[in-house]
Amino acid sequence: MAQKPESSRGLLHMVGITKRYGDLVADDRVSFMVREGEIHALLGENGAGKSTLMKVLYGMVQPDEGEIWIDGTPVQIASPHDAVRNGIGMVHQRFMLVPNLTAVENVVLGMRQPRAPLLDLSDARDRLMELAADYHLEVEPDVPVWQLSVGMQQRLEILKALYRGARLLVLDEPTAVLAPSEVTHLFRVMRLLVAEGRGIIFISHKLSEVKEVSDRITVLRAGRVTGSIETPEATAAGLSEMMVGRQVSISRVSPPSVGSTAVLEIERVTCLGDRGTAALRELSLTVRSGEIVGVAGVDGNGQRELVELIAGLRPTADGQILIDGQQPRDVLQQTSMLGFIPEDRHREGLVEDMTVAENIVLKIHGRAPFTDRGLLRWGAINAHAEEQIGVYGIRCSGPSARASALSGGNQQKVVIARETQDGPRLLVAAQPTRGLDVGAVEAVLALLRQQRDRGAAILLISTELPELLAVSDRIVVLHGGEIIGEAPPSEDHLDLIGQMMMGHRPVTAVA
Amino acid sequence: MRVSVSSIGATVRAAAVPVFAILAALAVSGILILLAGVNPLDAYAAMVQGSVGSPSALAVTGVRMTPILLTGLAVAISFRAGLFNIGGEGQLYLGAAAASAIALIPMDVPSAVHIVLALGAGFVGGAAWVLVPAYLRAFRGVSEVVTTLMLNFVGIIVVSYLVDPSFGPMGERGASYAQSVPIQQSARLPVLAERTSLHAGLLLGIGLALLLYVLIRFTPFGFRLRMLGANPVAARFAGVKSTREMMMVMLLSGGIAGLAGAVEVMGLRHRLFDHFSPGYGYDGIAVALLAAASPIGVIAAAGFFGALRAGSSLMQQVTRLEVSIVLIIQALAILFVIAGFFRSRILRIGKRTPVQASGGTHD
Amino acid sequence: MIDAGMLTDWGSASIRLAAPLAIVVIGGVYAERSGVFNIGMEGMMLVGAFTGVTTSYYLEPHMPVELAVLAAAIAAMLAGALAGLVHAYLTVSRGANQIISGVAINLAALGITNTLHRAAFGQSGRQRVAGFPSIELPLLGDIPVLGDVFFNQSLGVYLAYVLPVAALFIMFRTTWGLSIRAAGDAPPAVDTAGLSVPRIRYATVLFSGAMAGLGGAVLALGAVRYFTPGMTAGRGFIALGAIIVGRWNPLLAAAACLLFGAADAFQLRAQALGLGIPHHFFMMLPYLLAIVAVAGLIGRTMPPTQLGIPYRREESSD
Repeated sequence: MAQKPESSRGLLHMVGITKRYGDLVADDRVSFMVREGEIHALLGENGAGKSTLMKVLYGMVQPDEGEIWIDGTPVQIASPHDAVRNGIGMVHQRFMLVPNLTAVENVVLGMRQPRAPLLDLSDARDRLMELAADYHLEVEPDVPVWQLSVGMQQRLEILKALYRGARLLVLDEPTAVLAPSEVTHLFRVMRLLVAEGRGIIFISHKLSEVKEVSDRITVLRAGRVTGSIETPEATAAGLSEMMVGRQVSISRVSPPSVGSTAVLEIERVTCLGDRGTAALRELSLTVRSGEIVGVAGVDGNGQRELVELIAGLRPTADGQILIDGQQPRDVLQQTSMLGFIPEDRHREGLVEDMTVAENIVLKIHGRAPFTDRGLLRWGAINAHAEEQIGVYGIRCSGPSARASALSGGNQQKVVIARETQDGPRLLVAAQPTRGLDVGAVEAVLALLRQQRDRGAAILLISTELPELLAVSDRIVVLHGGEIIGEAPPSEDHLDLIGQMMMGHRPVTAVA
Repeated sequence: MRVSVSSIGATVRAAAVPVFAILAALAVSGILILLAGVNPLDAYAAMVQGSVGSPSALAVTGVRMTPILLTGLAVAISFRAGLFNIGGEGQLYLGAAAASAIALIPMDVPSAVHIVLALGAGFVGGAAWVLVPAYLRAFRGVSEVVTTLMLNFVGIIVVSYLVDPSFGPMGERGASYAQSVPIQQSARLPVLAERTSLHAGLLLGIGLALLLYVLIRFTPFGFRLRMLGANPVAARFAGVKSTREMMMVMLLSGGIAGLAGAVEVMGLRHRLFDHFSPGYGYDGIAVALLAAASPIGVIAAAGFFGALRAGSSLMQQVTRLEVSIVLIIQALAILFVIAGFFRSRILRIGKRTPVQASGGTHD
Repeated sequence: MIDAGMLTDWGSASIRLAAPLAIVVIGGVYAERSGVFNIGMEGMMLVGAFTGVTTSYYLEPHMPVELAVLAAAIAAMLAGALAGLVHAYLTVSRGANQIISGVAINLAALGITNTLHRAAFGQSGRQRVAGFPSIELPLLGDIPVLGDVFFNQSLGVYLAYVLPVAALFIMFRTTWGLSIRAAGDAPPAVDTAGLSVPRIRYATVLFSGAMAGLGGAVLALGAVRYFTPGMTAGRGFIALGAIIVGRWNPLLAAAACLLFGAADAFQLRAQALGLGIPHHFFMMLPYLLAIVAVAGLIGRTMPPTQLGIPYRREESSD
């Protein structure tokens, strides 16, 4: 039985939370505390462990070790229901709203009614509007939620939590979907809420916002707390070191090379995201043959939209993009022009029910020698697959092995084989090492280097800084839909890169 | 085509699930039969006798199996592409009607020509009947489930109209039952064995199954079809034009179901009858599921269903057990397959249900 | 040519034919609203028809008629709910394909009812049993034309007047209805609100089975009062069309059933009218109407977004 932690004045104290998923330790003895009246920022990259931590807090996931203390008493949170009962409210990144129901109905869903089972919405509406007025959270109560703006939907999510008496609010990347004026408004609301003694956990990547609104900052990296400081004492350099660290385990093979002719030319492109706001803002980027350009940045800053733009799946609202002088849409089918390694190999990359050979010829099965006189020639297909298996070092039982049976690393090699076998001029790789073990990561990076040496122009988008440093010839940083700066791929520039990733524009230009 | 040890092993593994499901279905049905006061072993023995116990029994099995084989192939090929053509019943009625129309016309041509023309009409009739649902699905993203289902009933009504004794264009005036006049001799399918009803439709079905096997396995079209069914998202990234592929698959599926109706008329009944199908279209769904949508497997599964139906009449004679017990066996087999009790990773058709298609249709 | 008598007769028949369907459709709406497609209502209706008739047959000699018929109706609902339980288990707990599950249930229902019917009643089949009594409502029944059409029907029909209204109320004015509508639209939101999506879906599917069973009982015990093998003849499938035409609203869907019933009643009489249009055309109308509705030609049809998709709570690392 744990002893009472030192500061029992804390509203929330998570002590020694550990959560494992098989071999992966998502959270490793994480402890952190939120005081009453405090806005506490939680910083960390994708995979750092903050989502898991919040899931534990909200009862969606049970920790393997550790305790949660609220107001100085230990509590059991086995479900979201328990979390709500303990005064914890959560505003998820993807809203938990029912689109076809109205705001009031959404608020009332799952709550005990005074005259159950009859739905009495009038009292609920009154209370909701009262809360809305008190905290400047404007909302339209009787309109189906799908008709509300994103900002209003978010306000509704906050109101939902307040309606249930939340004393601790968790806001997960709330500013990602807001316009600047809405962000200011949100901060004002947050101040109002904590003035009454509540606590807020504010999850964000954006340094400027974190500095503006939070009282204390805790940084997570690879499942551990790397630092916890009062906001006035935080510096960009200090924070980036805590977030990104100095551990670069993968070393470079050769010095950075310089590219020759431009293959991918993106000029001041603005591109709309799914929500109608600009996901890419006047982004400019050039990739030349014989170079690997690494795009660093925290997930959610426009990476996905950039990839879709290049693949011709997302139109430009402004600006111009050319691949070897052609439009992207015309290029996707030409396997000798564009190779594209998608982020989600299970959904977008492979057909897992098909064999390795079939996946390798997925795009080219219709041409000779794989098709002759209208029929597929499995002999030729299998021979070709055997060859590629050798060239790319794919470990499998043979061309007839089902793709789903391969390990993640080898699956990725199949995708790479498929996309590079025709020697494309431009290769776009989106998070190619996601979910792979160290050996597979090395192999994938080696393959990328090979392609570069062949003369391809390579765009590597990754959230893994060590890998970018190990293989890129130059690094650009994507933040808020723009290329905010560029840096050479060396450890000396790690701080700078880290700061840029958090939105800190470099004061001096970097060569 | 090389038949390696591993491919035999794969086939055995693939057949394991439906075989276990059938065994389980027979076991549970056996209990029901017991509760009805009959010895299940007697019942099953009679079924075996009546389906494969003699040459004439085999012939009956072949006859019963033929239409189910064709509708099963129709459904199977749509399953492979991730589509749900459950309109086989209506498509076979329209195919029968179209084939009958040609088969009723006296033609001074060799029988082979007349037959080919009539079968062709049958294919076109079935394909035409699926055209609207196919278009709605491929280009508008409207689920093909409800549309094909509703057209089943419309198809039956259309044929009822066509053979109505009073005013149907193809109806036999003065007949006591709604039916057409007998079709021309030259349009009848040859009988395969003397003194039986076993007709060439069975050969057509088996031939078609082999053809589909080749199509799926050895042509680019089949490759794209499998891609679409296995992972539509990746297929899109790989440049597959889903609208065109979906239309072609659905039309092919409808056409084959149309052939099922055509061969029933041209091979067995020699007339177009009102309500001539005891649900062959729905049997096709069951067969396709049991066969995990493999054309060769469909032959086996259709054979099993045909045997059930053929053997049930003898079973009823011997044990006085209602033939409808066969429907229960069939239903139980399906239920055991989709409950996933026996590990089924062969094809995920047992799990995926897009009742409505995901929006976007343009590529 | 066409007189008030014919109109009254047609109207009365329309109501009578629509009533069983209207009851079935309520259950279908609830199930689909929660995200589960129930194509097996045809079989559940058949099971209800058979159970109702058989129960009435065996109980009637031993107790007052009213009691026997009531017991028959309840038994029919239970039988339908049992079939619904199979569908719910397969689709909700095992994540099986909802179409195939429904098709299998229809097949099983046909087989079971045929077999049991033959066993219980032998070859002769048509055994008349006690059914829902015909009641002419006082005052209302005296209204000319309309009185005979609407208020001189069997008890089963009156059920079909009341149930859709109750269903509408429950769907939009109770917490249950709210949860159901949410489950078919955004299961994760329901989950985080502390409710159980599987439990909601089990409830609606069982309910749809019970309603289909009741509808079958009304079909068999209303006017005809006997059971014939396969007597539902596709009505359960028409219900699917009515759900769409009625935009997943219980009352509108029941009204759509009225439309279908009217077409059905009309085609039975069309021959006598000598209109020159074969009655088959009118038989087709309900189905064609459903297709037109699905194709989105009757306004915007918005099915529940989660219809047909099994729900699995995601467990993943960061």
